[in-house]
Amino acid sequence: MSARVRGSTDVMATTTDDAGGIDDVVRRAQRGDVEAFESLYRTHAAAIYALCRRMTGDEGESRDLVQDVFVRAWERLTSFRGQSSLGTWLHRLGVNVVLERIRSTKRDAARLIEGDDSTFGSHSSAPAIDASIDLDAALVHLPRGARTVFVLHDIEGYSHDEIALMTGIAAGTARAQLWRARRALMRLLER
Amino acid sequence: MTQVETHLTEEERQAFADDSMSPEQRSSAEAHLAACESCAHDVARLTTLMKRIHETPAPTAPLDELWPTIRARIEQSKVVPLAAGAGTGDGGRGAGEPVHRAIVGRRARWFASIGVLAAAAILAIVVQMRSPANRAAAISGADTNEAAFIAVVDSAHAYEAEAKVLLDKLELQRAMLRPDAAKALEHDLHVVDVAIAELKDAVARDPNNPALRQLLATSYRQKVDLLKRITNAS
Repeated sequence: MSARVRGSTDVMATTTDDAGGIDDVVRRAQRGDVEAFESLYRTHAAAIYALCRRMTGDEGESRDLVQDVFVRAWERLTSFRGQSSLGTWLHRLGVNVVLERIRSTKRDAARLIEGDDSTFGSHSSAPAIDASIDLDAALVHLPRGARTVFVLHDIEGYSHDEIALMTGIAAGTARAQLWRARRALMRLLER
Repeated sequence: MTQVETHLTEEERQAFADDSMSPEQRSSAEAHLAACESCAHDVARLTTLMKRIHETPAPTAPLDELWPTIRARIEQSKVVPLAAGAGTGDGGRGAGEPVHRAIVGRRARWFASIGVLAAAAILAIVVQMRSPANRAAAISGADTNEAAFIAVVDSAHAYEAEAKVLLDKLELQRAMLRPDAAKALEHDLHVVDVAIAELKDAVARDPNNPALRQLLATSYRQKVDLLKRITNAS
């Protein structure tokens, strides 16, 4: 069972032509055409929202982050050279924006580095959960560091080495966090 | 691992569930699972979880309503768009070009690009000053020019703020540069600053001229890139 295609949607390649070049809409946006950029937003916003929603577990914060990602994308769009699909480029940008937000909170930054041993498997810290809890609801109950690793690996398809580079934790730590996150999710979803 | 009394490790169980085992490892694990009910039950639970993860649709929300805010933020802090290829990499942080390259090679490219930039700036100014159409447009479209000029000034402020941060950082690292490298850097920055000053004057006279705005943005980006590369290298 392989990891889901990064970005969780099929829109990844729609803004890069088959030869790996940059399509007309992206070129127009790179030249400052806001209408073209709006078209890119409407194509890719859902995938970026899903990424932010699962990494943060908070709808309001995710909506803020979607805005931040696309404002950042506008500012940096000229550096996109079509070596990957625009969806992949935006997705990586989105991960960076979310991780920056996480790092800006000291408590969460510590969790990313140190792991979440203190809160893993602590049933007393988990609120009452419906029997029909779904995956996204269960994700909210994971510590943020574990949720980050789980989402990046199992949902978005990044490798442990890539996650280590992005988050600053060791690949082995990322692996251990992932396993513990899966175990915690398994318990939550089997209730 | 095929012995029933030697259970699968946590790593093996997780790898079996997410299908990251080699064919040989998987074959060996399957032999064990066929004989060990405890491991088989646990791996089945993990496998069910993985299946559920991949079958769960992505969360959605109405996102059209976010666009006006995004557009307002873009307009508010408008950055003059650069020509494709003028950037520093392909993607966000971590996706840019490698930092550690020979400074000598980069410097050669910088001398060339700065020379081209300065020549382009002078040429653009001359063309702009001699263009009757541009002069007529500047007179008849004063309001439009003012709005465009404000946008350019805002962009300039953004670039200058970024350059200042890098210059402050470079100031701390300057002691680590060789004297000849520091001198060459001063020269390069001077050339870029002269080009920027000339282009700013030209844009102030003709703010709606896209070529001038593009050149100004490019020259700012060149300066920021130069500073980034020097600070990274040192």
